[in-house]
Amino acid sequence: MAKTYGWAGKILRVDLTKGTVKTEDTAKYVPEYIGGKGVATRIAWNELKPGVKAYDPENLLMFMTGPFAGTLAPTGGRGIVCAVSPRSYPIEWFTYSGMGGHWTAELKYAGFDGVVVKGNSRKPVYLWINDGKAEIKDAEKLWGLGTFATQTKLKAEQGDQTQVICIGPGGENKVLYATVQHKLSNAAGNAGFGAVMGAKKLKAIAIRGTGGVKVANPAQFISACKEVADLISAGPTFNPIGGPPGPGSLPCSHGCPLGCTSMRKGDPAGLEVGSGTRNMMKHCVDPMYTWGWDRTEYPTKFIKKEYTGDIFTRPTKGFGDDIGSELQTIGEGLGISGWNYVNNYVWVSACVDNGIAELNGHKLEPDKPDFWRDLLYKIAYREGIGDILADDLIRACERLNMPEKIKKIALWSEPMWGFGTHRIGRGAESQPSPIWIYTMCHWITDSRDPLQSHHQSSFVEYWFPPHHGAGSPDTDFKKLKATYARVFGTGEVMEPGFGHIKEKTEAAAYLGDRANLKDSLLVCDWCFPRLLSGFMSKDELTAATDYYGDLDAETKMFVPLTGLNMSTADLEKAGERVRNLDRALHVRNYDRTREMDSTAEWVFEYPEKSDGSKLDKAMFNKIVDYFYEARGWDKKTGWPTRAKLEKLGLKDVADELAGIGRLP
Amino acid sequence: MSDQKRVTRREFVRDFAVVTGAAAVGVGLSKEALAEVQVIKEIPKAGVVVHDPSLCRGCKICEVACSASHDGECSSYLSRIHIKPNDLDLVFSGLVCSQCESPSCYFACPKKDQALCIDKETGARYINQDECLGCGQCIEACPLPEAPIWLKTVKGREVAFKCDLCRGRAAGPICVELCPRKALTFEERRD
Repeated sequence: MAKTYGWAGKILRVDLTKGTVKTEDTAKYVPEYIGGKGVATRIAWNELKPGVKAYDPENLLMFMTGPFAGTLAPTGGRGIVCAVSPRSYPIEWFTYSGMGGHWTAELKYAGFDGVVVKGNSRKPVYLWINDGKAEIKDAEKLWGLGTFATQTKLKAEQGDQTQVICIGPGGENKVLYATVQHKLSNAAGNAGFGAVMGAKKLKAIAIRGTGGVKVANPAQFISACKEVADLISAGPTFNPIGGPPGPGSLPCSHGCPLGCTSMRKGDPAGLEVGSGTRNMMKHCVDPMYTWGWDRTEYPTKFIKKEYTGDIFTRPTKGFGDDIGSELQTIGEGLGISGWNYVNNYVWVSACVDNGIAELNGHKLEPDKPDFWRDLLYKIAYREGIGDILADDLIRACERLNMPEKIKKIALWSEPMWGFGTHRIGRGAESQPSPIWIYTMCHWITDSRDPLQSHHQSSFVEYWFPPHHGAGSPDTDFKKLKATYARVFGTGEVMEPGFGHIKEKTEAAAYLGDRANLKDSLLVCDWCFPRLLSGFMSKDELTAATDYYGDLDAETKMFVPLTGLNMSTADLEKAGERVRNLDRALHVRNYDRTREMDSTAEWVFEYPEKSDGSKLDKAMFNKIVDYFYEARGWDKKTGWPTRAKLEKLGLKDVADELAGIGRLP
Repeated sequence: MSDQKRVTRREFVRDFAVVTGAAAVGVGLSKEALAEVQVIKEIPKAGVVVHDPSLCRGCKICEVACSASHDGECSSYLSRIHIKPNDLDLVFSGLVCSQCESPSCYFACPKKDQALCIDKETGARYINQDECLGCGQCIEACPLPEAPIWLKTVKGREVAFKCDLCRGRAAGPICVELCPRKALTFEERRD
């Protein structure tokens, strides 16, 4: 690309088997696929064949930024990693994992929009990216180091402004939920892409760039970015009433004016983070170790009559700020995902409560900090019981031939695609009706826990009347419905119950398209799409006629940055294109069908925590019928139709699916 | 003349001028020194952008705002303010021109008032990059432990970059305006 605005213009293509580095033009993929997840999905469609598993050399491990990275666009520093995951269950399939930090900006400044790594190296290597060039370098001396030590060493070698993403022993030993780690707490965790790096013997990517991102219309771009910063200044939309970031907070990524992570003073000894007392960046995952999570109310209150077995017998142990932070930091240094603590705790304590006092000679004491201090290392190094838990719970049950009760707990903890529950409305979190209908539509049709990428379908829960520890006493439900009426034509899309399923599923489809746009631009999932505004005070909230934010926010920045005269409708269509291409990929490579989408229908037959609402098979199928219709997918098979694909400019995709008999 | 001697002499002359006003005659100063005393007194003082590391959290909005505003490109490299994060210790130091009352960089510039200039209205010590030779004398002369002036290559030429208080921008320094944590403030010039 000659003069590129927004995009850097090049994608790095690394082959670790051959030891080669090439580039290709980003223009092959943009603006149709925007960037981020969109570009990665198109590359996967073009090049990832069915049958490729996570550790195969043919697995394409893709680190992607979007046009916003490295710019003034608020939260533009988010990034995404896409590849075949070793963790997804029962099929190792292509999925995505968000990750923030400053590596995204540095990659753009180095002249690249993304890095695609295929092949497996025979020896440990790292990728050194520096101002338009990239080299595969020996990493023997780094192999075995924790993530903090790896970053420190690479910065010492390549300069202290170098940005590093890397794996620790967790990834090296292919823990299925191993992280790609960056700085203190930025990570791509849940999909286990750290293990893919480990399989490729890619220890780290070090990046240094002195370039910049060209802006087509600087004055308008600056003005738009200011406007959007104001729009989100109250913070993520789980706070109807927010405020400016306090001194005890940090932004997670480059270019973010907010402070969603908390700083903790501490000196976790022996973790090679540095020396002396320091602040540590903490975030949404850390509370799992510090506060714990209580799901015990669920079986007792909601399902005792219908289900004879206990499922969650104890609240997850929270160890308080100091020990909790220490455990989280141990996990970060080892490079294993902190989300797994919750499920591992539940499972281990269920073993204890069902008479299993030890596993493989390892005494189970989940309420003791030392148990976790030890177990986290055992998991990262695959020692004894750690080797089994490193394969995640469902596989652990299979390997150990556990009793049905324990298997059920594993399934309750990770009911779909091998990923832990997240805003599913049963168990720990509430998602009052009709919100759980939205999140259900996302869960059943995605390739992983979708909620880390669809928070804007779910955060509206905090604007509902108070329920089960969530909701707000200050919001007006009528105004909330009026807000949704503005966008979807009727406020009934937020009305509890199973009425207006057509409108609700259409709204869910729209929010799914916006989520895919967001993952391609990229911007932050806690703030965008900004259907809901935030308010700086109760007075402001009360005075507002409705709660509408600005669904054109991304467009206002995208246009002056790139110089492309695209409308919000154009960008939304791109999001829909990405969603449908992802669906087509799963249909082609993994035989994705309605039947597969329906495998976890049983979850939704259980009552939702906040209001007890649930559905039967008939209602489940009705919702799926309507959702597929909203999506333009065939009701019988769940496959995208030719009409839908062609409308999105994906005729070649439709033709290929037709060729294998998977087009309705 | 050695740099050290030069700095010492400048400090003497400056202090002398402040203390005695214009009465330098008869003290044995050269014509050069006298002229310099006069210039120092006539240079308008500038306000200054101040970075507070206790509030900064390394978002880098200041850097990309600065570069976008000045050069139409979002770039840490082109920024005239630099935030240096220690990522693992979460300490964020910032480097931006102090707009010295007696600007050593200005006096050191071989193209004084063409390259390194003083804005008559704001007093901003700024660099006209079209005239800048990229000699680096301004950086050498800067009395700070680390000079907030950088030589950067732009369009094949090496020129110096420093904070110019966003001269020409009605709202003043953009970094101050956009810092979400008020870690950057603008202190008005002290007259």
